[in-house]
Amino acid sequence: MQRKTLRRWNNALHRDIGYLCVGMTIIYAISGIILNHFKSGDFTHPDYSKSYREFKVAIPPKGIADKTYVFSVLDQLHEKDHFKSFITGENYVQIFLDKGYVYIDLKNGEAEMEIKTTRYVIKEFNLLHYNNIKKMYTWFSDLYAVALIILAITGLFVLRGKNGIIGRGAWLTAIGILLPALFLLYYM
Amino acid sequence: MTRNIIFIILSIFIFSACDQGMKKAEADHSKDTVKMAVLTFEQKADSFINRAVVIEGTVLHTCKHGGKRMFIVDGTDSIRVEITAGQDVTQFDESLAGSRVRVFGILKEERIDAKYLNEWEAEVKKPEENHNAGIHTGAKGHEDQGVREKLDQINSLREDLKKSGKDHLSFYSIEAGKFIELK
Repeated sequence: MQRKTLRRWNNALHRDIGYLCVGMTIIYAISGIILNHFKSGDFTHPDYSKSYREFKVAIPPKGIADKTYVFSVLDQLHEKDHFKSFITGENYVQIFLDKGYVYIDLKNGEAEMEIKTTRYVIKEFNLLHYNNIKKMYTWFSDLYAVALIILAITGLFVLRGKNGIIGRGAWLTAIGILLPALFLLYYM
Repeated sequence: MTRNIIFIILSIFIFSACDQGMKKAEADHSKDTVKMAVLTFEQKADSFINRAVVIEGTVLHTCKHGGKRMFIVDGTDSIRVEITAGQDVTQFDESLAGSRVRVFGILKEERIDAKYLNEWEAEVKKPEENHNAGIHTGAKGHEDQGVREKLDQINSLREDLKKSGKDHLSFYSIEAGKFIELK
C-alpha cells in the first residue's frame, strides 16, 4: 500500500517536473548542438552569420585616411547611415558599421566588407546556455539542474514489471551510463 | 484611477532609487580611481598594478569564445589595451566592435618568463586544441592562429625577453568590473 503511494508521488513528481523542464531542456539542447559545432570550428560565431564582399576603392591622397575619405567610401557603398567609428593602422583603415565593417588596404585600395546578421533566438538561447546573464538566472539554472537530477531519478521508478528498473529499464540505464564511460576510456 | 496613481508613484520611486544607485556606483568608481588613456597605457601601467582604473577607447575586437575579452584602441591600432570580463561583467558582445566605451576595472599584470614560454611551447605542440594558452594580442584572426604562428609568437617573445635583460616580460590588462557604451 505504502509502496503504491510512493510510486504515485514519484510519477506525479516526474510528470510535473517534466512539464516544467520542457522549455529549458529544448533551449539547452539546441544551444548545446550549436556550441558543440562552434567549438569544433563549423561556425565562425554562433550568434551571428557573416558574409563578405570584396571590391576596390580609390586610395586617399598621401595615403592618409581621414574622416572625409571614410565618408566618401561609405557614400559610395550607401552605408553612411550605419557609420560607427573608424581606426587606422599600418597601411589600412577599418571602418566600423552597425552591422559589420569595411577594411581597406591603403596600399592598393583593396577592400573587404563584412556584413553581420544576428541569429535571433539562437543568440538568446546561447546567452542563457553560457549563463551570460548571471544574477538571479544563476539560481534559476541551478534549480533547473537539480530538477533534471530529480527527473532522472524519478524516471527510473515510473514503470513496474518487466519494462521497469528491474527488467528492461536496468539494461537501458546501464547502457546510458556505459556509453559516456567508454568515450572517456577511449579518448583519455 | 487610484490604482493607476499608486502604480505611477511606485514606478517613479523605483526609477529614482535605481538612478540613485547608478549615481552612487559612478561615485564609488571615481573615488581613488586612476584615469588612464589608451595611448599612454603601456608607459604608465606598471605604476598602477592592482589599482582601480578607468579608461576610454574604441572597441577593436571582442573574443568570440564566450566574449570574455576585448581590445580597445584610440584612433590607431598600434596600441591595444586588453580588457577582460570581471565577475560582474557578463560578456563583451561582438556588436560592441567600433563602439566607444568607458571601462572601470582593476589593472592586472601578467608575467611571462622562460618557464612559461617553455610550458606554452609544450602545450602548442600537443595535437589537441590549444587556443586558451598563451598571450592574446587582439590581432585580426588571432583566435584562428595555427601551430606555426603560435611557435613564431613564442620565439619572438623569447627574443624580446632576451633583449629586455630582465627575467620576465610584463603584459598589462584591465579586469573590468563595469563598462558603459558611450553614445
